[in-house]
Amino acid sequence: MTRYFTLSLKTVLTRPELIFWAIIFVEFWVLMWAYVFGVHIPAHEEAVKDYVSTAYGGLTILSLSATATTIAYALIYSSKSIKFVTKYTRLSPSRFMVENAVSSITVLLIVSAIMFASMIIVFWHRFGLLVLPHNPPGLFAATLLSAVFLYALSSFLSLLIVVLRAPRSASFIAFVPLMLGFLAYASPWIDFRIIAYISPFNCISSLFYHYYSGKQPVTGGIFMPGDKELMDTMLTASSLTTWTITLLILDIILLRRMRGVGIEEIRIV
Amino acid sequence: MIEVVDLEVSYGRSRKPVLRNVNAVFDCKSLVLGPNGSGKTTLFRALCGLTSIRRGRILIDGLDVERIYAKTGLIMVNFPEVLSLLPVKIHDLISLYADLTGGDKAFAYRVLADLGVGEEILRSRRLHELSAGQLKAVCTAIALSAHAKHVLLDEPFEQLDPARKSRLIRYLADYDGIIILNTHETWLVRSLEDWRAFFMFEGVLYGPVLVKELLEARFSLREEANPIMRMMISGRAVSLVKDGGRMPLLSLESLDRVYELALEGERGDEILHAQP
Repeated sequence: MTRYFTLSLKTVLTRPELIFWAIIFVEFWVLMWAYVFGVHIPAHEEAVKDYVSTAYGGLTILSLSATATTIAYALIYSSKSIKFVTKYTRLSPSRFMVENAVSSITVLLIVSAIMFASMIIVFWHRFGLLVLPHNPPGLFAATLLSAVFLYALSSFLSLLIVVLRAPRSASFIAFVPLMLGFLAYASPWIDFRIIAYISPFNCISSLFYHYYSGKQPVTGGIFMPGDKELMDTMLTASSLTTWTITLLILDIILLRRMRGVGIEEIRIV
Repeated sequence: MIEVVDLEVSYGRSRKPVLRNVNAVFDCKSLVLGPNGSGKTTLFRALCGLTSIRRGRILIDGLDVERIYAKTGLIMVNFPEVLSLLPVKIHDLISLYADLTGGDKAFAYRVLADLGVGEEILRSRRLHELSAGQLKAVCTAIALSAHAKHVLLDEPFEQLDPARKSRLIRYLADYDGIIILNTHETWLVRSLEDWRAFFMFEGVLYGPVLVKELLEARFSLREEANPIMRMMISGRAVSLVKDGGRMPLLSLESLDRVYELALEGERGDEILHAQP
């Protein structure tokens, strides 16, 4: 790894927007879920575990999508210099992609770990129960797959801005992950039905719930009255994997097309 | 060596070219002199493959610039936008580019100390937090410290005071490689006598000539016999001559003046001939 890897990791992790939107803001909602929304949850292990798993699925996707928005911004910032450094330094295009991907995925995993640790501590304090995931390796695998997906989405969006020569859309497009993350966060109140399989953000939230609680996730509306439709976990994981592979292929295609774009057509945010 | 063959560049979907029929070989230290907005920066962007070429080709050491990837040490530039890979403090930026280019951090610090940019600034500020002069100094120092075979310096003297300009000239004169430097200021000619010079007006490159030939050269807004160089500015022939012209090159602070007078048409010629 070159010095780009460590500096990129440090830069993204210390960006104020990441610290605020992905950590502080979501931690506020962790406290709300624990001390305000959770007042009527009985101190019964099964009920608490189900509640904590739902909170983990919803709040972690919110935090990770805010991180993805920061990563998209960081990539847009670098876009003018990427063309030069990949031509005349030892950071070749493939090496750049690998180092950028590894540093971004590491950031997403660190943010997940912060969310994980804080939720265990806060909910333990609130309910007096240590709620640990039912399937830790499964939860880690789902987190890793989600991190790869969110990186692929962030780079796809930033490359799209460059290739479409649409710098004015940068602020809007970089926020797409956060907007979709908020939609997935609404799933305890809204039954998304088939969309729960199509939206990768809902898939992430459902997989987190599944591996944390050990139960089958539902398509949505868990806090609402009425029958619930159980989700097929394999199908959910397959949908997220398909999205990830598709976006990675699109990234490669866009990266090739980016070569024809002059740096004067790219904006630094 | 950088070879430019029949180059034409235009931005976006615009039909009007910014660079037209540029042919040149840069095989030694060279100046590209021209007024602001003449296309010098675009030429530099094209030389390192950062801008889309409509026609022609550029070869760097025989390699097509469009197909160059991961060629460390081949070329370096002082454009702030290409040195903005990460929004880090200057101190980290220097070490990042030293690592990526195999450059010499200590050399960059030495140049910056000579140009009056102290350690405290380097440790506390990012590129976009620098003044215009500091930004030029930092980017030029990073470009020179890479010790690349070709270094393109875009207006490196802009915003520097005379003492710092002369210190920077020493580094340029001692540099072991091909420097191509663009500027609209003419005073440089006195200090870089053994370099070669090109002129650029309205996207067209003229030359080269030896810089020492320019010491006594004068501009004339007429078509003179036996000129050093003949150029077209706004459809008007402008000659650079050894004798007979009215406007000594070294008397001009900036080449913008030549352009302004050429735009005046016949009146420009009258203004010029009315001068003592």
